[in-house]
Amino acid sequence: MFKELDPILHSQLRLAVMSLLISVKEADFTFIREKTNSTAGNLSVQVQKLKDVGYIDVAKQFKDNYPQTTCKITPEGIAAFESYVKALQEYLKV
Amino acid sequence: MTEQESLQLIADMIKKAKGSYHDSGINSLLWGSVVAIASLVSFLQRQYDFSIGFDIWIIVTAAIIPQIVMSIREKKASKVKQYDNDLLDAAWLVFAISIFGLTFYQSIVPAVTEKLINAEGWSMMKHYIDGSKPDEVILPFTPSLYSVYILIYAFPTLVTGIVKKFKPMVIGAIITYALFILSCFTESKYDMLLGAIAALVCWFIPGIILRKKYLAQHRINV
Repeated sequence: MFKELDPILHSQLRLAVMSLLISVKEADFTFIREKTNSTAGNLSVQVQKLKDVGYIDVAKQFKDNYPQTTCKITPEGIAAFESYVKALQEYLKV
Repeated sequence: MTEQESLQLIADMIKKAKGSYHDSGINSLLWGSVVAIASLVSFLQRQYDFSIGFDIWIIVTAAIIPQIVMSIREKKASKVKQYDNDLLDAAWLVFAISIFGLTFYQSIVPAVTEKLINAEGWSMMKHYIDGSKPDEVILPFTPSLYSVYILIYAFPTLVTGIVKKFKPMVIGAIITYALFILSCFTESKYDMLLGAIAALVCWFIPGIILRKKYLAQHRINV
């Protein structure tokens, strides 16, 4: 019996965000937007969803009078990502 | 999105995140040039017996100011923080403290030793074996101390080279370890020359390579 894939992660943009954040300590919203080739509006919505389930931490602050949003993966996010990858491997028998 | 596409997306994003770090090379060029110039001038002064009228190592101290300014700017401009940044910052901090400690040792210990041995009622003398010149009282000193500086130059360079998988720095550090061994057998003025070569291979040459890569990447992004 295959394990069900986490619906939060099984979405293109959210998975892209999580894959980026698993590789770095923290990243700016603009960095994530550039790397995922997404729009600010769509990315904002998906980041909020990841934050709501506790997979990422989002910190908002001001840098040189401009708002800056920094995202960081949480331990829960790492665990969810790892089990998602494991489930994928089971499906694909990697 | 199929499972295969998911896996491909994860691999692509991890690759993008890892490829996002680009050292501008400026720090390496700055330190490589100042340490190489200071070492080379020190060697030339001793080799050709002249003085430029001030301590050339002041330029190394002066380089700390642009270094601080550049570090603040780079930190502000940085959009992503990698896990290994903290490790490398720690390695270079320990390096800076070690260099400062060694400089402190070099300037304090001879005077303190002289005081202590004088208190014991003896002093250090330079004695000519062939008796061609009379004995001279000398200040205690650590022979060939610059060899230790060369040894320390290799440490953060090797750490950075290994962590960032940047071969020019690994090669530079290995050459520097060889220069250290060589410097143990040479007169102290030649240690300065070897130190200049160490600064070039550890920082200046890798700095040029990093700068070229950075500018090439910048052109792609523009």
